[in-house]
Amino acid sequence: MDTLGDLLKILDQMVNDQFESIEFKKFLGVPLTLERGRFYVVQNALYTSNRRDCWGYVQGGAPLEVKRIIWEHESDELVHDPRAGMDHYALSVKQGEVIGLKPEDFEKAEVPSMVRACFYAWHHVAMHNHWLSAYTASHMLERRNNGKIVKGGGMSYRVGKKFENELGINLKRMISLDVHVVADTDHSENISEMFGRYVKTPEDCELVLKGARESMAIDRAYRGALGYYMEQIN
Amino acid sequence: MCNEQFESKPFKRLLSTRFTKTRAQHYSIQMAFYVANRRDCWGYVQGSAPLEVKKLIWQHEEDELIGRKSEGKQDHITLAIKEGEVFGLSADAFERTPPLEGGEVCFSAWIRLAQRSWLEAIAASTILEMRNSGELIDDGSLSRRIGAMLERDLGIPMKKQINTAEHVVMDVEHAHLLMQVARRYADTEGARKAILRGAAESLMIDRVYRGHLADMLEALPEA
Repeated sequence: MDTLGDLLKILDQMVNDQFESIEFKKFLGVPLTLERGRFYVVQNALYTSNRRDCWGYVQGGAPLEVKRIIWEHESDELVHDPRAGMDHYALSVKQGEVIGLKPEDFEKAEVPSMVRACFYAWHHVAMHNHWLSAYTASHMLERRNNGKIVKGGGMSYRVGKKFENELGINLKRMISLDVHVVADTDHSENISEMFGRYVKTPEDCELVLKGARESMAIDRAYRGALGYYMEQIN
Repeated sequence: MCNEQFESKPFKRLLSTRFTKTRAQHYSIQMAFYVANRRDCWGYVQGSAPLEVKKLIWQHEEDELIGRKSEGKQDHITLAIKEGEVFGLSADAFERTPPLEGGEVCFSAWIRLAQRSWLEAIAASTILEMRNSGELIDDGSLSRRIGAMLERDLGIPMKKQINTAEHVVMDVEHAHLLMQVARRYADTEGARKAILRGAAESLMIDRVYRGHLADMLEALPEA
């Protein structure tokens, strides 16, 4: 049996299945208004911050070689992505200008309760699991954003298209979403390479799948929560 | 607090040991495990720190994990293994030799501390670099003192102890991190207490760890 090949196929299927879930369908089906778009962009910056927390925790638990890969990954995210000319949090804030958001709107943003629960859940997975599970949990969110794997486009692409179709804002102007369409494809491929080095046994596969299942469940809950809160905004 | 470490029994025992080649080899290998544990802890600290502090830690980890490529500097794990060559160690020896049992327990304790609130966690990690800063320690940092002992006992000049020499310099710079953070974030009594608690607990683990290293060295033949 091609352990690694089979495992990667399962991961690919899982990220595609996300878009068939009721939570994803609900979230992607909420019609965008300018206010809802603003809410989403601010929340997405908070999501980006939570990713930085989790990747730090994953780096803490991973073997040295994997720590180095994560450090490189975090260089784009945390310090400077040459594709964007800035780090990804700054990119989110900059993107906000297109829809009338100011830096203060990001600084004073509250994390809604259901979103907070998801962020804590991702922290837990990242900090208190075997490193392979933790690593996969964070990786899966980028794999789910990889347009080469997800039929119909990854999450950033689809949300970007909603801004384009429903608010008339071209995807290229939604600079954070646009960069993530490409960046997460690169990131998910680089990070995925490590599976080839470290996944050797059925037990390793199970650790990977455990992380993937848990992260995808939280991701569904998170998207469901965003959909719920967006619907409350008139 | 950092200066007082050197007055503790475990530190005095460790620093009164005489190095032989075998002792230096074992010490060198165990220090590579210590450096690897630092990388674990700093990852966790980076995870829980605010965004601005995460960036500082990311830069700190460039020196440690990657090396300043622009200055032709290697990462600190590679340096530790290369330094082993002057003691007659091959890279294999680092892979074959397990960490000390007592060391493992200390490493777990440091990881646990690194997973606490971020101010405690960052204090716990930075205090070890402050204890290694020649700028702050009256009679020389731990790395400098060990380096001097290896020079005295084995005739290996400090400049050939490439990992020790690097830490003598780098930890002066890295030791500033806590004060940078404290100036901005230690704005309440609670925050200041958290920093002091993290630092104190880490130095306690450090004393236990140095005691285990002293036990290990003492158990090896003197000549």
